[in-house]
Amino acid sequence: MNIVVLVKQTFDTEAKIVLDGSGNIDPTGVNLVLDPYSEFAVEEGIRIKERLGGEVTILCVGPDSAQTAIRQAFAMGADKGYLIKDDQLAGGDSSVTAKILAAALGKIPHDIILAGFKSVDSGTAQLVPRVAELLKVPHVHVVTKIDIDGSKAVATKEIDDGFEIIEVALPAVFSAQQGLAEPRYPSMKGIMQAKKKPLETWTLDNVGVDAAAVSTGKTKVIQYTMPAERKGGRIIEGEVPDAIKELVQLTRNEAKVI
Amino acid sequence: MAGIWVFVDQKDSKLKKVIFEMLGEGKKMAQHLGEDLSAVILGKDIESLAGPLAENGADKVIILEDDKLAGYTSNVYASALTALIKEHQPTVVLFANSSIGLDLAPAVAQKLDTGMVADVTEILYGDQIVFKRPVYAGKAFAHVVFDDSARPIVATIRPKMFIAPEPEAGKSPQVVKAVTSEFGDLRQVIRDVVRKASGRVELTEADVVVSGGRGLKNAENFHVLENLADVLGAAVGGSRAAIDEGWLESQFQVGQTGKVVAPSLYIAAGISGAIQHVAGMGSSKCIVAINKDPEAPIFNMADYGIVADLFDVLPVMTEEFKKILAEG
Amino acid sequence: MPTRELFWQISNHWLIYPAFLLSLIFLVYGVMKRIKLWRLGQPDQRWDALATRIWDTLVELLGHRKILRDKFPGLMHLFIFWGFLVLTIGTAIVALQADFHINTLYGTFYLIFSLAMDLAGLVAIIGILMAIYRRYIVKPDRLDNNSDDAVSLVLILVILVSGFIAEGLRIIGTNDPWAVWSPVGNFFAAIFAGLSPDGVAGAFQFFWWSHFVLAMFFIGYLPYSKLFHIITGTLNIAAASNQPAGHLALIDLEDESVESYGVNKIEEFTWKQLLDEDACTRCGRCQDNCPAYLSEKPLSPKRLTQDLKQYLNNVGPALVQKNTPVSAGVSQEVAAATATEAADDATIIGSTIEEEAIWSCTTCRSCMEQCPVKIEHVPKIVDMRRYLVLTESSFAPEVQLAFRNMENNSNPWGVGWAKRAEWADGLDVKTLEEDKDVEYLYWVGCAGSFDDRNKKVSKAVVSILRQAGISFGILGTEEKCCGDSARRLGNEYLYQSLAMENIETLNGYGVKKIITHCPHCFNTLKNDYPQMGGNYEVIHHTELINHLQKQGKLRLNGGGQQLKLAYHDSCYLGRYNNIYAAPREVLQSIPGISIAEMERNHAASFCCGAGGGRMWMEEKVGKRINIMRSEQALALEPQAVATNCPFCLAMFEDGIKSFEHGEAVKVLDLAEIVAEAMEKN
Repeated sequence: MNIVVLVKQTFDTEAKIVLDGSGNIDPTGVNLVLDPYSEFAVEEGIRIKERLGGEVTILCVGPDSAQTAIRQAFAMGADKGYLIKDDQLAGGDSSVTAKILAAALGKIPHDIILAGFKSVDSGTAQLVPRVAELLKVPHVHVVTKIDIDGSKAVATKEIDDGFEIIEVALPAVFSAQQGLAEPRYPSMKGIMQAKKKPLETWTLDNVGVDAAAVSTGKTKVIQYTMPAERKGGRIIEGEVPDAIKELVQLTRNEAKVI
Repeated sequence: MAGIWVFVDQKDSKLKKVIFEMLGEGKKMAQHLGEDLSAVILGKDIESLAGPLAENGADKVIILEDDKLAGYTSNVYASALTALIKEHQPTVVLFANSSIGLDLAPAVAQKLDTGMVADVTEILYGDQIVFKRPVYAGKAFAHVVFDDSARPIVATIRPKMFIAPEPEAGKSPQVVKAVTSEFGDLRQVIRDVVRKASGRVELTEADVVVSGGRGLKNAENFHVLENLADVLGAAVGGSRAAIDEGWLESQFQVGQTGKVVAPSLYIAAGISGAIQHVAGMGSSKCIVAINKDPEAPIFNMADYGIVADLFDVLPVMTEEFKKILAEG
Repeated sequence: MPTRELFWQISNHWLIYPAFLLSLIFLVYGVMKRIKLWRLGQPDQRWDALATRIWDTLVELLGHRKILRDKFPGLMHLFIFWGFLVLTIGTAIVALQADFHINTLYGTFYLIFSLAMDLAGLVAIIGILMAIYRRYIVKPDRLDNNSDDAVSLVLILVILVSGFIAEGLRIIGTNDPWAVWSPVGNFFAAIFAGLSPDGVAGAFQFFWWSHFVLAMFFIGYLPYSKLFHIITGTLNIAAASNQPAGHLALIDLEDESVESYGVNKIEEFTWKQLLDEDACTRCGRCQDNCPAYLSEKPLSPKRLTQDLKQYLNNVGPALVQKNTPVSAGVSQEVAAATATEAADDATIIGSTIEEEAIWSCTTCRSCMEQCPVKIEHVPKIVDMRRYLVLTESSFAPEVQLAFRNMENNSNPWGVGWAKRAEWADGLDVKTLEEDKDVEYLYWVGCAGSFDDRNKKVSKAVVSILRQAGISFGILGTEEKCCGDSARRLGNEYLYQSLAMENIETLNGYGVKKIITHCPHCFNTLKNDYPQMGGNYEVIHHTELINHLQKQGKLRLNGGGQQLKLAYHDSCYLGRYNNIYAAPREVLQSIPGISIAEMERNHAASFCCGAGGGRMWMEEKVGKRINIMRSEQALALEPQAVATNCPFCLAMFEDGIKSFEHGEAVKVLDLAEIVAEAMEKN
């Protein structure tokens, strides 16, 4: 089974977000990690390999720093990886990333493609349906379980008020939701072996994508702003029954939410 | 051609509240661009929905009915909708940030080779239309614009961020029956659908959410929360702790890795207020916190807090809300 | 002339020699077999500083320092030991005279000798009777009984009594004029007063030879019974670790040839750890103060040791055989091969020791503190944890979360590392980056930086340091978790990476002196970091405050507090670093403050339950340790509980509040009490 996992490196969720003078996010000192949703996908990929045999390949579009994220996936048990980086990619958005990944996937044998359903930084959740569309293969978005049977797979997709059981033919793309597979903690052996597993860097040329076509995305972030400081901290003092009464009154009369 | 389109998420012929919110904002956008507003529905036996859509601002209601559209499947809907868009060339297509919207919008955007912005919480109108959306779990907002060549603009809208219009009762819909033969190949086969009916309003739709955390101590105690939710007509949610302990099912988790909610009133009982939970409810209009630990971080962001044992507070609070609601 | 005939009525006494030789052969054979098993273990240098080792062993052996901590069983064993020792020396003196003609047994010396032997025998018998009473009548929880115990007790008793009977018969038979100098023998003599001379002679021969045979049997039997502790216990004490209390071996993680880390097979332990198993007499003192055992977790240090011993006995011989070069025929090779297979498969975790037991340990070291033969339980548990974490990657999800938090944000809570210095906002505390010319580094630790309750303690420490005019700085966001939790949970890799980074930062600033308010940081920085090149003078805040008081730089006038405090000795300050007096001196010097000692205090203090990484784990089985300790504190009816450790503080805050009568009781760190009591300028 050729399993390919699309991963992303993101800010650690605890990172303090600070804006620089020009409305951009200041990356200095921020801890970069393998995106948690990518981790679910990597773990599921490795479990599929353990069940059915095969190889897990990691694919990532990002800067040099993303190598540590790929090595983290190696330590968990992935076998090899490709980092697609190119200086001309600075202005990309999901549509650009999807094109690049689809082109790269054209060069890598794949039966199953896994990815996180969104990422914790920009979290647009667009990637998987776009990649599936470009490859003209089925996809199941926001998945909590995958069962593979030969050339078919049955996935459990989370919907607003429950879930759907969906069958697709392989190859297909699946996006991981929390609950799909709890990521393992790499063993020492895994950590040691990760250093030696093959990680190749590809440019847009290697992937066969015309730089001009992806130099700008369809959308652009013109600036970032911080949310308004929430004024909280008001404790209603007094005897509990009186305090409750006062609070309830406030929700009607002051906050006007009841 | 032009037009602001609102794609209508429908389930069992019931319209989600967010659709009306999108129509409200869609109207604003239509006026800004000097275009008209259409609601677009795909499905089977959906004509009855045209009325409410028109009453809430849709100039036109575009209906595409076909047996193949009886239930949502990704590629079939995406292909059909893409065909309609290619035919009518709207400027903007809005989707709800629901599980259908999340799935359909990117597929359609890719088929049309256009851009998409997701989870929009505010729209700013100037020389360009700027779409504001939360990033980094709400720690910052990204302001997104579309390249002039990227059309239509595809966006998914977060519920409860925009305002539904005052419905014009009795306004008759201008129905446009759409026809297409582009249904694509059936890439997905739905084997089963399991709806977890809780009888309560759904978390992301609710106006009021009552949420419990570790302080509830066990699953049985949640009835104290449920009583309050009943009185308030609220949805019940929980922090990660409550889900991990097995007191609530995962669909009720509010937080960074669960659902993001923005009700008018969010009551957090026995929740400490870790950043991961706050990421899921920080945009609520009014936050009430009940915790016996005065140092709990949630008090820092709550509009009103009570430091007391939730088991002492909730029953009394339920009675008080009952009384005040009875007053009318 | 006071003396006696050495072999009265004993003919053929040359038989003693072959008999003695025979029992020696059994003894040596048994010992050799056990030594071969110990040698299955890994090397470990335990013979350095030999003179000190010998001295310490003599103190324990002759002075029974640890054994006497428990009065009744302590005395019991003291009697048996000294009684036996004197009797053995006496017998040796007789042999010297009988075989080497070094004649000493005459005159006054003989009389004193005779009296000493009798008293020794009596004392030994009293000891044995105390033992029998305690084991079979009192039946304390920590003792389990099996045939080995019964046989040992009865054997010694019979040897002693038969000796006295023989003496009594001799006294009658020889009409010993010096009988009064053998009072016990004399007493027995009275019983046989009526026998005929032939009867006496015959009886004497019977009892003399029985006594002799049983004594020879005792010698040969030694290595096959719990009596072996006579040798192994002494050896174990001599080979005890002379490193700081919480010492753990440093693993070389750079070695890529290593397939497995930690211990899951018997031969992965060191030879000393295997000797531990043979030194154990099942006395159970380790169990008596073990918070895991007492809170009904599946861990008992005694059972751990015994289970490992059983395991060694089961698989050891086959492994020894595998290591022995095969010289004879094919059948022997085949036998060895099958034995090898069986031995290779045998692993410890899951079968001999259950995982739940391994994780239940809080590393409080109460077991090691109590053990009279200095068995080292805690490092074995950490070794097995290292296997589970580094090799198998098998541990509870909340432990994984703690690890990931330490990796990503350098603290087990997982709060953004950029927020580490926020507790000091508005206090105008300088970081070393801003000014590194300070005398002390105040190492705040993760709890003091991120835990809301403990941030108050950090602020209190700062106010104390300022009041005393101490020049200090903090590392701010450059400080990372000291790594204690990671190390004690078995994640040596994570610990070493954190330690390396911290040491680099500290050495980069040329830090020499460090103050810390967390005993875990204190222990790690002081005792663990030197292993990796971090050598600093580390001082705990209670020591510093005590010091400052003595220098007159800090005056405590009470500040109007009237508090009866229940004082809790934390494990990592107390048992790990022997700091008991300084905090008490500080508290007692404050007017209005009085200390009430809990029943389990000083070295016998009861753990709060958070050590060994358990702070980050769910407690799913048995009673909650912090509730138990809180109950012990509340029994003193204090107005406040005083702690010196942030983990204990958190545990008590949670535990005390769970009791109705605890609602009004405050939980305070020493720093907070002192800050309140300071005379302000």
